[in-house]
Amino acid sequence: MNTLLKTLLLSLTLALSANAADHIIDQKGKTFVPSSITVKVGDTITFKNSDAFAHNAYTDDEANEFDTGMQSSSTNKTVTVKEAGTFSIECAIHPNMLLEVTAE
Amino acid sequence: MIKILLATLLLGVALQANEDASKWLRPAEVPQPKNNKMTPERIELGKLLYFDTRLSANDTISCATCHHPLSGWTDLNPAPKAVGFEGRVGPRNSPVVLNTAYQNRQFWDGRARTLEQQALGPIEADVEMNMPLTTLIPKLNKIKGYQKLFKKAYPKSKGIITKEYLAKAIASFERTVVSTIAPFDKYIMGDSNAMSKKAQAGFELFRGKALCSTCHDGFNFSDGSFHNIGLNDGELKGKELGRYNVKARAAWYGVFKTPTLRDIVKSAPYMHDGSVKSLTEATHICGNGGRFIHNVKNKSTFIMDNELSRSEISKITTFLHALEGPNMKLHIPTKFPQ
Repeated sequence: MNTLLKTLLLSLTLALSANAADHIIDQKGKTFVPSSITVKVGDTITFKNSDAFAHNAYTDDEANEFDTGMQSSSTNKTVTVKEAGTFSIECAIHPNMLLEVTAE
Repeated sequence: MIKILLATLLLGVALQANEDASKWLRPAEVPQPKNNKMTPERIELGKLLYFDTRLSANDTISCATCHHPLSGWTDLNPAPKAVGFEGRVGPRNSPVVLNTAYQNRQFWDGRARTLEQQALGPIEADVEMNMPLTTLIPKLNKIKGYQKLFKKAYPKSKGIITKEYLAKAIASFERTVVSTIAPFDKYIMGDSNAMSKKAQAGFELFRGKALCSTCHDGFNFSDGSFHNIGLNDGELKGKELGRYNVKARAAWYGVFKTPTLRDIVKSAPYMHDGSVKSLTEATHICGNGGRFIHNVKNKSTFIMDNELSRSEISKITTFLHALEGPNMKLHIPTKFPQ
């Protein structure tokens, strides 16, 4: 019975993961491209860095708080959206960079 | 519009093919928030408040004391760090008010997002004007002249002065403090004789080998970014931690805001701690790897040794002089509402 329950839970998790989308955000010319996105809880956001210098995406939104840390040129960083709501993501180095996220 | 298009076209010829020439041109409008649009009444009221020493605890210090138009909108006193209430020395060099309208973070450490949020801080700071708002607001409300002006500027206030309206009025004036037309602007609009050949060579270095424009970018010669440029080595303490004091984020250790370079010749000494006396020294520090090369925690990756020679630094500083425009036309008030 225990094994059956574990199998069901694993199947459910895999099914949810399979439905999760990955949203690509480029950091290019000191802007997030695109500058706004709508995502679902469980989706991931991958930050590319096409600039020749470092960026550092973060949000202080309580439900979805993250900080990618310094991200060098030509690298990717991925975060997972945890809860529904609207929040802003900024670059810790370049605060003029702003990404508006709506999580459903 | 045609002028701007023409200027951009001419500039495009002068600059490298892959550079967006229009970024150096003055924006069509000064940014202003929806809930505090600039009007002549608000600007005039803000100007009076900005120069009024009664906003300090002992009626001797105004905003202008540390951010004066006759000294490039920074301290009239050339000391490295701001000198405020009863001669108290503040922790940092007075930042310039010039073009703060174009910034989306205020103060050296970016702790305020807007000019409205920034405006009240120095009034209350004990090393600046040392005036609690709980004392100032009743004091202003006893001045009938100010009550009338607030009512005209902000009719919804009905002449009752609050800290919110006070901040809005001061911010409205500060948004008028913008740089005037400098030789660089004439050059960028197509007048190739507006800058000397040496200054033009300096501009090439500025956006080329020296990498200055990586941060000192666009019309305001600042992209608003935050960096640790290696002025100090080892562990940092207190106010030297910069934006890290706002929140202990790793990227914010020892970082400070990239200042505008507009009118930079008027506002020495330089940097957040006022420790740099000349533009030559500042250019050497930023262009050749920082004051300290080693043992600088979280030094910006933009601060690297570009091996700038004395001659190259001289060309860059000559270019920086071309960013100086005439003082903006301003009647400094000497009479205040009673």
